[in-house]
Order: sequence, then structure tokens, then C-alpha cells
Amino acid sequence: MTALSPMKIIPLLLPAALLIILVVMWLPEYQGLLNNEYVHTFKTGFIGILLEALPFILAGALLSSLLQVFVPDEVISRWIPKRAIPGILFACVLGIVFPVCECGMIPLVRRLIQKGMPVYVAIVFILSGPILNPVVYGATFMAFRNHPELAYARMGLAFAAAFLIGLIVYCTVKKSPMRWSAQREMGDMAHSHAVRGGRLTSVFVHTSEEFFEMGKYLLIGCLLTAALQTFMVRDSLAAVGGQPLGSYLFMMGLAFALSLCSTSDAFVASTFLHTFPAGSLVAFMVFGPMLDFKNAMMLMALFKTKFALYLFFLIFACVFIGSVLLSPWL
Amino acid sequence: MNDSKSIRLHYLFRAAVLLAFAYYIWHLTNENALSYYVAPALARWIKLCPIPLGLMALSLIIQAVLGKSAMLCNCGHRLPASPLASGALYGLFLFPLLLGFVLPDRALGSAAAVKKGMSFSYSAVEPEKSVRFESKHPYAQEFTELAKILYEQPVIPVYPAIFSEAFGAIDMFKKQFEGKEIAVSGFVYRDQAGEDTGPFAVSRFLVQCCTADATPLGILVDPVRQQHLPADAWVKVQGKIRVVPQDGKELIRIEASSITPIAQPDAPYIYTSADSVETWHELEKFANKEK
Repeated sequence: MTALSPMKIIPLLLPAALLIILVVMWLPEYQGLLNNEYVHTFKTGFIGILLEALPFILAGALLSSLLQVFVPDEVISRWIPKRAIPGILFACVLGIVFPVCECGMIPLVRRLIQKGMPVYVAIVFILSGPILNPVVYGATFMAFRNHPELAYARMGLAFAAAFLIGLIVYCTVKKSPMRWSAQREMGDMAHSHAVRGGRLTSVFVHTSEEFFEMGKYLLIGCLLTAALQTFMVRDSLAAVGGQPLGSYLFMMGLAFALSLCSTSDAFVASTFLHTFPAGSLVAFMVFGPMLDFKNAMMLMALFKTKFALYLFFLIFACVFIGSVLLSPWL
Repeated sequence: MNDSKSIRLHYLFRAAVLLAFAYYIWHLTNENALSYYVAPALARWIKLCPIPLGLMALSLIIQAVLGKSAMLCNCGHRLPASPLASGALYGLFLFPLLLGFVLPDRALGSAAAVKKGMSFSYSAVEPEKSVRFESKHPYAQEFTELAKILYEQPVIPVYPAIFSEAFGAIDMFKKQFEGKEIAVSGFVYRDQAGEDTGPFAVSRFLVQCCTADATPLGILVDPVRQQHLPADAWVKVQGKIRVVPQDGKELIRIEASSITPIAQPDAPYIYTSADSVETWHELEKFANKEK
């Protein structure tokens, strides 16, 4: 950690000072710039997404810190089946008991991996948890009142895709894809016992570390999402949906860009019911919770870039192929 | 010792940021402005957030003030390494707070509706052809029940609490509802910006979780007499339901006999109701008591 020496700050201070002068001089003349519809739409969108994610990321950070401080490593590894297929199935049903939204999922999963959960099991949990849970099932069912088969298809495809990706990762990835090395994790462990004020303080100090660490990726994701929602006209993109498979690509692109919560995306999907084939709506509802702007940022923080890109590709391929294959039955 | 000093500094700064977030949420709750951003079900949880945020800030302050220097190791290397990195990190966290405090809280309006794509029909239901109120789909039962009740009203009141369900029910049986009198309130939306007279849509945003999933729903309105109504003005519209063909679809349209400007309601968005028929009965009971 470098100290904040004055010599280092001066080169930064000059441009900052200039910027401040510019802003102060120009802003009164261009009030309109700050006060137009775009800025308000952006603000309402951005704060909305941020507030929505806040309770979940706090819950995820808190759970992860509680695990860190109170649960010994052996307990976690004892729970998880040793063999690959039971392990993956275990991760698929974990979402039913742990209905955490994807924003809260990543800090929790990072801790679980550090505590000895195999990476492929963790990935299955990240992918299936936000979809395979009773809350999301109920919401999907409500949104598609006349088409319950879409709710079944969503659950089925999410399960199949997560299972398959888990299996592929199990077979192909041998080296640890984590961004943090084992040594740093050990340093982290030592750190946890050296906190003043007992275990409770230690839990909250860790929670805030987790919050700032994951929060920055969340904030960048929220910023990009809000900017896209403010400037992107949905209808102009719908032209891509004209081609036979274009609608699948369009709906998956939209899911990525919108970063909706998995409990609420079904209703947005239902507004496309008569415009696009049902298969593409399933693709939207399965792809979105697995991969969007917000959690792509967070996955990049969790895994090495190469592995993260590999994972993104696997998710895209599995959901795309799966939803196209499902479409004759919908 | 320089190292531990800068860690203390970081901890104090983080505590301040956390407290600022807690204060912002408290401020939104106090101003009743949370409803501009999230649905009530979620707002409940957000209102609780200042508690963990406060505890986190308190723990960080305890660490920064009382923690022994030797214990303040940055072993996890989780603190930013250079002033530039810390500036960027804290700038990122302060940005939403700045935005939140500087700009006034405003509900989504026409500008957002244009981007999101206004829907003039409730697309989750199929229109029913039958003359009587029955549906082959078991899942459309609730809408069918609601449609029966609404049909019996001399003037159909579209309560905000069941706006989307009432809209869905009327849209589903639009042929039967043709000619019925309806009263509905919402903001003015026009496809072409700039005009402030002529046809518009009386609109509401349906919100599931937060503003990201807000879906604009609108009912077309044909004013009988010319009236200046700027976009995003809030109005109450009363008139007869007509069914008109538009772009190959049949849409409902209100032939308005009266359009009255109203103040923006405290809760500008609408939400889905778990059981709209039940909610209807409660609202009616309440309305009768008022009389």
C-alpha cells in the first residue's frame, strides 16, 4: 500500500482543479443539460436498480461473512457429495433452500469456494440458484397465465443448462480458475481472527469489505444498464428479431442488457408474447438470470478473465441451443 | 506505521460512505420517494438496510479508532493500492449519492415510455371471442371473474390497485365491453412529441420489482373537444369504451366525454395484485364507507 504522499497527488490535482473550474463556469449556462428528460430517466433507472440490488448484496455479504467467521471449512466439504454427478444435482437443489438473487449469490459463492466447495459445484449453484427456486417459479406462472408450459420450460431448461455446464467444467477445467491465490485466502483467514471487538465486529468488518469489493462491480453494471435503458429504443432493436433465429439472439441480447431480477423478468418477457416465438421468451428468461451486465462484471471479479469468457460462451451456447430445441413443443 | 495509518483512513472513509447510504435511504423513506424507484414489496427490505449499513460503519469506526496497529494488516490486499485507485473507487460509490441528493426525485414519464415501448393491449391474455364471460383457459379464471364484476358497474372505476388486472380483463373481453362507461386516471402519453392537443394515451407504469422492469401500459383516448394537455400531465378520463383496429390489432379506445387534470398521485406506478377480485371487494367496501 503506497502512502498518500503529496508529490504523487499534485499531477492529479491540476487537471482536477481545471475540471472543477470548467464545471463551475459552464454549468450555470447549461442548466438544461443537467435538467433534461434523459438525465431524469437515467437517474430514476439507476437508483431503482441500485436500490433493488442493495438488500440482496448486503444479505449475500452478511451470509458470506457469517460463513467465514463461524463455519469451519470441514463442515462445507462434508455436506457436498464427493462424486461429480451427485455434487451437481446437489447444487441444483441448493437454490430451492437458498433463494438468493444473483447479486447476493456471488459473494456467498466466493466464500463457499474458499471453504472448499468444488468450482464446478459452485458454478452450477450460481447458474441454477436464481431460477430454480419457488419464488421465481411462482412469478413466471403468474406472468404467463395462459401458457403454463412456458414456466415448466423455463425451469427445465435452466436445470438442463446448469447441469450440462457443470459437467463440462468438471471435465475440462483442472487448474483453479479463481482470481485470488490460495496464499491470499490464507492471509484472509489469519486476518479474521485479528479483529478487535470480538467476532461480531469481525463479521461486520468483513461484510463491509465484501460490500465494497462487490459493490464496485455492481455499480458499474448498474451504470451501464441504466445508460442502455435510457438511450436504447427497444423497437429499433426489434428489427433484428425479424430473421428466423434473430428473435432468439435479440431476446438474449435484451436479457443481457436489461439486467432484470429473475423474479420480475417473466412479466417483461410476457409483453413479447405475440411478437416473438415462445422459445425465444424461454431463452430470455433462462439467459438473463445466468448472465447479464451486472453479474458478468461480478463473475469477472470472481474468476480469471479467460475462464470467465469460457463460461460466458458455455452459457450462451447451452441456452441458445436448448431453447431452439425446445421450441417445437411450445 | 504509515501503512496502518492509511488503513485507518480507509476504514473511516468507508464508514462515512456507508453512513451516507444509510442516510440516503432514510431520507427517501421520509420523503415518501421510495415508491418512485421500487415496488412496495421490495421497499420493505430496503427500509431495513440502514441497520446493517449502520452496524458495518460502526464496526469500521471501532476498528479504525481502537484497533491495534499490528492487527490492521491489509493481508487480503483488498484496499486500493494507489490514490488514483482509491479516488476512482470512492468516486464510484459517491456518484449515486450525488445523483440522489442533487437531482429531484421524479417518476418515470413519457420519455421512458418511448424507450421501453408502450403497450396498448394486455398481451399476456388471448382475446376471448365468446359472447358470455367464460374462458377455456383455467389460468384466465381470475380475469374472467373480474370482468363479470366490472361489467355490472354503471361506470367502471379502474382502481390503481388493480389497474393492470382490470385492463387485462377488459382487453380480454373487449367486444362485450364496447359502449360501457369507464373512468381511469394516468399520465398523458403521445407517440409524437411536441403536440399538446388531440389523441393521447392515459398511461401507467407497471412495476414488478424496480424501475428497470417498469412496463408502460396505456389506453388510447379520443378527446371529444380540443384541450391542451402537455405530455406527462396527470388526468382523469371518463368516457365510453370503443374497439378500433390499429396496425392489424384490435385495441380499446376511450371516447372521452370529460378529461380533468389531477395532481400526480403519491404512488405513481401500479403493481400487480395477488388476487384482484378480493382486492376489488375490499376497495368497494372502502369506497362505500367513504360515501
